Amino acid sequence: MARVVLRNLRKSFGALEVIKGVDLEIEDGEFCVFVGPSGCGKSTLLRMISGLEPHTSGAIEIGGRDVSGAEPSERGIAMVFQNYALYPHLTVRENIGFGLSLARVPKEERNRKVDAVAEVLQLGPYLDRKPKALSGGQRQRVAIGRAIVRDPEVFLFDEPLSNLDAALRSQMRIELTELHERLGSTMVYVTHDQVEAMTMADKIVVLNGGRIEQVGTPMELYESPATPFVAGFIGSPQMNLFEGGAARTMGCDVYGIRPEHLTISDGAGQWVGRVRHVERLGADTIVHLDVPDLGPLVARVDGGLTYAIGQQVHASPDPERAFKYRG
Amino acid sequence: MTRKSAYPYWFFIPAGVIFAILFIVPTVASFYFSLTYWDPFEARFAGWDNYVQFFSEPFLVRGVLNTLFFAFLTSALKTGLGLLLAVLLTSGIFAQGFLRSVVFFPVLVSTIGVGLLFQELMHPTQGAINVALAAIGIDGPGWLVNPKLALFSVALVDVWRGVGLATLIYIAGLSTIGPEYYEAARIDGATRWQQFWRVTVPLVRPATNTVIVLSLIGGLRLFDLIWAMTRGGPGFSSDVLASVIYKQYQAGFWGLSTAGNVILFLMIAAIVAPLAWWLNRRELEA
Ligand SMILES: Nc1ncnc2c1ncn2[C@@H]1O[C@H](COP(=O)(O)OP(=O)(O)O)[C@@H](O)[C@H]1O
Ligand SMILES: [Mg+2]
Repeated sequence: MARVVLRNLRKSFGALEVIKGVDLEIEDGEFCVFVGPSGCGKSTLLRMISGLEPHTSGAIEIGGRDVSGAEPSERGIAMVFQNYALYPHLTVRENIGFGLSLARVPKEERNRKVDAVAEVLQLGPYLDRKPKALSGGQRQRVAIGRAIVRDPEVFLFDEPLSNLDAALRSQMRIELTELHERLGSTMVYVTHDQVEAMTMADKIVVLNGGRIEQVGTPMELYESPATPFVAGFIGSPQMNLFEGGAARTMGCDVYGIRPEHLTISDGAGQWVGRVRHVERLGADTIVHLDVPDLGPLVARVDGGLTYAIGQQVHASPDPERAFKYRG
Repeated sequence: MTRKSAYPYWFFIPAGVIFAILFIVPTVASFYFSLTYWDPFEARFAGWDNYVQFFSEPFLVRGVLNTLFFAFLTSALKTGLGLLLAVLLTSGIFAQGFLRSVVFFPVLVSTIGVGLLFQELMHPTQGAINVALAAIGIDGPGWLVNPKLALFSVALVDVWRGVGLATLIYIAGLSTIGPEYYEAARIDGATRWQQFWRVTVPLVRPATNTVIVLSLIGGLRLFDLIWAMTRGGPGFSSDVLASVIYKQYQAGFWGLSTAGNVILFLMIAAIVAPLAWWLNRRELEA
């Protein structure tokens, strides 16, 4: 059992409070993603769970045990770093077995465990290479291997895919999800990329300025974002958000409508605007409009439709899918 | 296929000329003069006589052995102490900036000054070191007058003088090791001691190679400190190649002295070149 529970967790660097009271329960075996803009405190929160960063106040429980003050190695966690932190002078085998050799695990047992991990990650052919001779994706797998071999109760990932190119990133997303299914361990994953959060998470924690903005499954956050911040952060292209006069005419302080919940027509519609830019993605087309009543408006339409730049069109929101926020 | 233009090579010429005048010409000239008996007016060809004589004088051979002992001892001490001091001075201890200056300060002082200062400090009866030792009831040794100890004492002073540079190189080297290497090791349960041996030492290796090679070259050709402190004495007990060469020159054996210079040059090349090659190869493998 490795539930992770954070109770009123706070962290200050000097006078600067960067984590402002976080309460969170991560269930055993859950894939939990912390997502939020750069500087919102995701890494700090993860590093406090790992024990690399002491927390200022509050409590952390891992597997029902209060680990406040415990060394990182005593918390039953393993961590994968953004730049992998592989030792350049050691081979892949030695890197994966580093922790075992520190613990003076006999060589035979060590090799057996490393081989088993290499099998899972398809690293067998590379065991005798140095990290320098590996591709980015292979290095990433070695870093994951070093975590798996510790057989931790909780895996911690800090933006592990951000050094990879787009194609590799989507492949690694799938591999990590499969790994999670296979190992069944609790995983806590930090990213600033909402696509990673949506595609991998069982539970997403949206952070903003050191506070939790909302917690929920990917679809909960997509269907009912609790705040304009979450509404703007989850979903791609971003939700259209309007404040001020435009929102007041809709009877709220902030009005939001997703690009996929707008219909565009040549005839009548709620708003009139001109096409400023068209992005063709194939299946879909993203149409950027200038609407005098609102400002810029983005709509996602069927890829079969074509619009000319400067063309006048009408846009209508699906009233069922619009979000209205007060205050 | 593109033809390489000759134009860029013109830019090597100024440096090449300076290198030839200052290095190649004197080196070739000393090879030649080491095969002669010479003075400012004439040079008589002597064949290998100077070299034969050099190696048949026991005190000259002693000078070669002393040089090797001195160079390897000081290089090892500077490497070890330099790393320890650098680790200490990057660990965020109290008054770190001030202490870094203190460690580096001796590097800036004139070697002759350091030599004369320590000659005073190491005086067997009136020197501050033995006076201090006497105060706590220890009978201090004759640092520079005991033939068994003289070279060793000079080596200690050379380490004191040179460890600041080694420390500086190591501080630069340590700053290139990202904190995540230590964090990953901590998560794997590494103790402080294991972090030092399994992370710091291997990852600071390029700095180590630089320190070893620089201090070895410095040690092999050391002259000024020996001359200021002992003039090779007592007897020939602390003579190194450089001081022997100087003494031969003073005594008018210019050909012999030049042969000594050639031997010193070849010895440095024979030790440092393969060592540097080996160290660099290991670094590249990493
Ligand atoms: N060691 C530190 N000292 C001072 N401030 C820090 C330190 N680490 C992080 N911070 C600050 O804490 C805030 C959150 O940082 P971080 O957790 O790294 O954000 P994220 O990972 O979400 O981008 C930032 O404002 C950052 O400047
Ligand atoms: Mg971060």
